[in-house]
Amino acid sequence: MIDINPKNTLIRYNILVESDMAPEEMAEKLYPTDPHIRQIAKAVFEGDEDEVVAALQNTIDSGVDPLSLINDALMAGMEVVSTLYDYGLLYLPDVIISAQAMIEGIEYCKEQSKQVHESKGKIISYVVEGDIHDIGKKIVTVLLRANGYEVIDLGKDVPVEEVVAAVKKEKPIMLSGTALMTTTMHAFKDVNSRLLASDINVPVVCGGGAVTQDFISDYDLGVYCEEAADVPKIADSILQGLDIRKLRDTFHKH
Amino acid sequence: MSVKRYSSMEYDNFEDLLFGHSKYPVKTGLDLEIGAGYTTAEINYAPRPNAAENQATLVNEYERITRDIMERMVQVGFPSVVLETEHVQQMTHNPEWGADIANAQKAIMEDYHDEYGIKCALRHTVGDVRGDREKIDLRGDAYSRILESFDQVASSGADMLSIESLGGKEVFDHAILRNDMRGVIFSVGILGALDVEYIWQDICNIAKKNKVVPAGDTACAQANTAMFVAGGLLDFKLSHSMASVVRAISASRSLAAYEAGAIGPGKDCGYENNIIKAITGYPISQEGKGSTCAHSDLMGNMSMQCCDLWSNESVEYRGDFGGTTVQCWGETLSYDCSMMNTALEAGVGKTLRDVLMVSDRYRDPQAFILSYDNAYRIGEVITAHPDDLYLRAKEAGMKACELIESGSAGFLELSKFEKATINKAWNDLKSLDENKESFICNCLDTYSSEVDTFNTSNYGL
Ligand code: B12
Repeated sequence: MIDINPKNTLIRYNILVESDMAPEEMAEKLYPTDPHIRQIAKAVFEGDEDEVVAALQNTIDSGVDPLSLINDALMAGMEVVSTLYDYGLLYLPDVIISAQAMIEGIEYCKEQSKQVHESKGKIISYVVEGDIHDIGKKIVTVLLRANGYEVIDLGKDVPVEEVVAAVKKEKPIMLSGTALMTTTMHAFKDVNSRLLASDINVPVVCGGGAVTQDFISDYDLGVYCEEAADVPKIADSILQGLDIRKLRDTFHKH
Repeated sequence: MSVKRYSSMEYDNFEDLLFGHSKYPVKTGLDLEIGAGYTTAEINYAPRPNAAENQATLVNEYERITRDIMERMVQVGFPSVVLETEHVQQMTHNPEWGADIANAQKAIMEDYHDEYGIKCALRHTVGDVRGDREKIDLRGDAYSRILESFDQVASSGADMLSIESLGGKEVFDHAILRNDMRGVIFSVGILGALDVEYIWQDICNIAKKNKVVPAGDTACAQANTAMFVAGGLLDFKLSHSMASVVRAISASRSLAAYEAGAIGPGKDCGYENNIIKAITGYPISQEGKGSTCAHSDLMGNMSMQCCDLWSNESVEYRGDFGGTTVQCWGETLSYDCSMMNTALEAGVGKTLRDVLMVSDRYRDPQAFILSYDNAYRIGEVITAHPDDLYLRAKEAGMKACELIESGSAGFLELSKFEKATINKAWNDLKSLDENKESFICNCLDTYSSEVDTFNTSNYGL
């Protein structure tokens, strides 16, 4: 068998650019300072659901309002996770595991509180009609929930009618649509025109394998984005008042 | 038909693995023999989105595709070609559409064969339509429709039957996003293998009845999903070592089709086919640099090392500067085959094989474990546990960990992150249950509650 040292034929760029710092070290620098809050944030980072609940319990017992912990502690932990993911120090499963722990934590805080918790906003997520590729959508949905949004998950292979009906009923701040096939992505067009016909101007954020920025830019309501991890950022931007044009300016990269 | 497990390797030595040669060549179609000393391009295509409007437009589209390919093959002087039609949903849902298309394609291929003597064959890959919006129903009405579709295409001109089966996918999707090794073994090694052997017994009966070839399956829904989520070197989605371990385990799943009677060539997108060939001696289809039209895979040369058919995965039919896409990609693939066939004729096949393999061997752990020597080693541990689907999947995963770890002492550079994930995966595998019964029992508990769409009756459990 032939074998060669690949040093002149191959560059593993991932190793060249790898940070010297371990994710845990970096996270240590980013956690909030309050010891209770820090413990909760750290449990979210570590994706330890039991520890999240125990730390929350601890803090609530010391007299802190459970609902305030959603933003102040759980979100703070998720923030650390997102930052490290953006730096390339964490991988997607780490984010999903943390997100799951975060969602458990949010539920726990809600149970512990007597008041009603307002989510940051409602979002509809779905995979277009004819398409059953739904892993990307699952990722998007978990990330949105972990960022404090209420997600109405319509599932996969969702007829245009049903998307439009759900928008009318739920009045979401945005839609997150996924399409993996060139044969199915045209369903975005129908959703776009049906919504416009009803004078609904909600951003339809589209992603998934087959979808391209050029394709989506043709639809008035369309906003394109590649990365699932950017979807909560788009939602945050909508809350900050960015309209579709500004969303495109910010998130269209090509 | 019954299931016969492999308890030894059909190849005695990995050095004997070579493109264009398999221990048990497959005669099929119009004078074609696969794995009998030469390689052949397998061209794969998707109709344009609006062509699937009705039966007539779709038949017309496939006629054009078929004629374009056959014409280009004779224009450039290639001795053989395989066409693979991967069903769009409508074709499987309406079995007579699939039949009509197989019939129309075959008629054109016969014309070219009659006129020029070009050796050719037609593979139909029926869509696995068992997962709909609400649920996955592996053994219900949709399954009957799949079998009906197989029967109709087989009696209408398809020479080889394949499918990319879904079994185990619902649990796998859940597990892979959580780095959950236990869920991977359960979904791919147990659920997937059970489904594969179930459907392939039926597919083999249909193939036998129609005198066509039951060709084989792929773990696309599992191992390729992992490969896609893992992405390129600079993507931070899934550890590439993790994707390699999934790939090794998936060989145990794909093998079940051959244990139920399939005889190859296995499907192009089954990158685990290197392992399958070493175990079974059957010919395989592979894809790599010729499938960059469909995806990027970090082993574009290496995957040629032992191929018998050389494929492009899929390309949408449309015009390009050099002809239609099927002509351009078909020509590229055929030139590759011509190069391999020339090397075989000149007696330097193994040298070319090694050049192809070494050029990607250290590019990524996924390529490393599929290099033919390592693929062979994974095959050995799978066949060491013929009567235990659980053990053989687990051992395949552990072997991949061991190979990557020992490779990293040599030229296989791993990032700190990859090192950590491979250690974790290895430890997770080592700490799994000792025996199959308790493993399955524990998994049923966990995944029945964690995964909504998981229904044990789909697997006869
Ligand atoms: C895995 C897979 C499958 C699995 C799906 C499992 C599942 N639960 O999803 C199975 C085996 C079931 C499958 C079936 C089929 N598949 Co398929 N499949 C793939 C494959 C290999 C990978 C897709 C994947 O999971 N990628 C990983 C995920 C994480 O990526 P993603 O969804 O794009 O999401 C990422 C981003 O896009 C983003 N994102 C996702 N959603 C959103 C939303 C927003 C708003 C934003 C901003 C971002 C975002 O976030 C994610 C992470 O970053 C692709 C290959 C390819 N080149 O894409 C083919 C592919 C998509 N499949 C294809 C085909 C043809 C099929 C079948 C028709 C095959 C058949 N004959 O049966 C069926 C389709 C059935 C149907 N009606 O849908 C073709 C589509 C060709 C085309 N016309 O475009 C592809 C491209 C393969 C190919 N090259 O031919 N497939």
